[in-house]
Amino acid sequence: MSITDYLLAEMSVHGVPLLFGVVTVASVGVPFPVTFTLVAAGSLARQGEMSLLPIIVAGSAAAILGDHIGYGLSRWGGRPLIVRISRRIGGEHKIKKAEALSKKWGGSGIFFSRWLITELGPWLNVTSGIAAYPLRRFVIWDVLGEVLWVVLYVMLGYIFSDRVLFISQIMGNLAWAILAFVVAIILGWRLFRYFRPAAPAIE
Amino acid sequence: MKKFGWRKSVVAAAFLLSLAIGIFFVVRAVRPAIYWHYHKDEPIESWMSVGYVAHSYHVPPHVLFLALGLPHKPPDKRPLSEIARAQNRSMDEIRTILLDAIVHARPPYPPPPPPPPDPRSSP
Repeated sequence: MSITDYLLAEMSVHGVPLLFGVVTVASVGVPFPVTFTLVAAGSLARQGEMSLLPIIVAGSAAAILGDHIGYGLSRWGGRPLIVRISRRIGGEHKIKKAEALSKKWGGSGIFFSRWLITELGPWLNVTSGIAAYPLRRFVIWDVLGEVLWVVLYVMLGYIFSDRVLFISQIMGNLAWAILAFVVAIILGWRLFRYFRPAAPAIE
Repeated sequence: MKKFGWRKSVVAAAFLLSLAIGIFFVVRAVRPAIYWHYHKDEPIESWMSVGYVAHSYHVPPHVLFLALGLPHKPPDKRPLSEIARAQNRSMDEIRTILLDAIVHARPPYPPPPPPPPDPRSSP
């Protein structure tokens, strides 16, 4: 019996509390098929076995809780350790660079890894914590992204309640396609700049 | 023409690779969409419950429960993999039984009879 079989079977029996637990643990970083679980929960709501609002509230709260556990552990547990080690081996400037990079790109990274490329979410929690991304901004992007993620996938499951498998397959692949194309656009822009004639230098 | 150094070669290769990965995933996303368009029905998988299969194939659940020799009330929520194990059947056998019941519950066959009375409500 696969983990998906087990989760779905238990969810139709234990409902929202189990969903809460699964989403929390998955948001910390345990690789559960959690997006699929949300779609299935939406379908169960349509079939009258669960209620829509508790699924959305519990799913969002669990995701936000899990993310903050990941962020907190790395900010107040992992970061001091890494700072101490880098001070010994002389890599402090790299930490400064990582912090600057995180402050510049962290917000969009956190937001898009909440609902689009969810596999990257736990990693972004850890890197945001280690780079000491400001907590207040982390909370804002996290809440926005997670509520969007839960509502999007639960509602897809609710609307296409008889096509759970297809919806999950299509959305899962589309998310990776979008990420790959975003990377291609960034790299393509760099290539374009390499070959653009240089502007005449102003003396 | 500028010199095409190793750094630019790496960027160009990464660009082509990310483009290829993007196209690969678009193809993978389009495949189930095409299947969906032509077949309407999802393939029956081990994680599905009998209730979900009935919902997905738009047939009354009791027809499928009866085909598997299970009481329709209270509805059995176990996934098909567990039912298969409990009945000592393979997933293929379960799938064949369900598909056969589904075919006979849809036109041109007459609509299935209403569910038998709930055994719990009888004296």
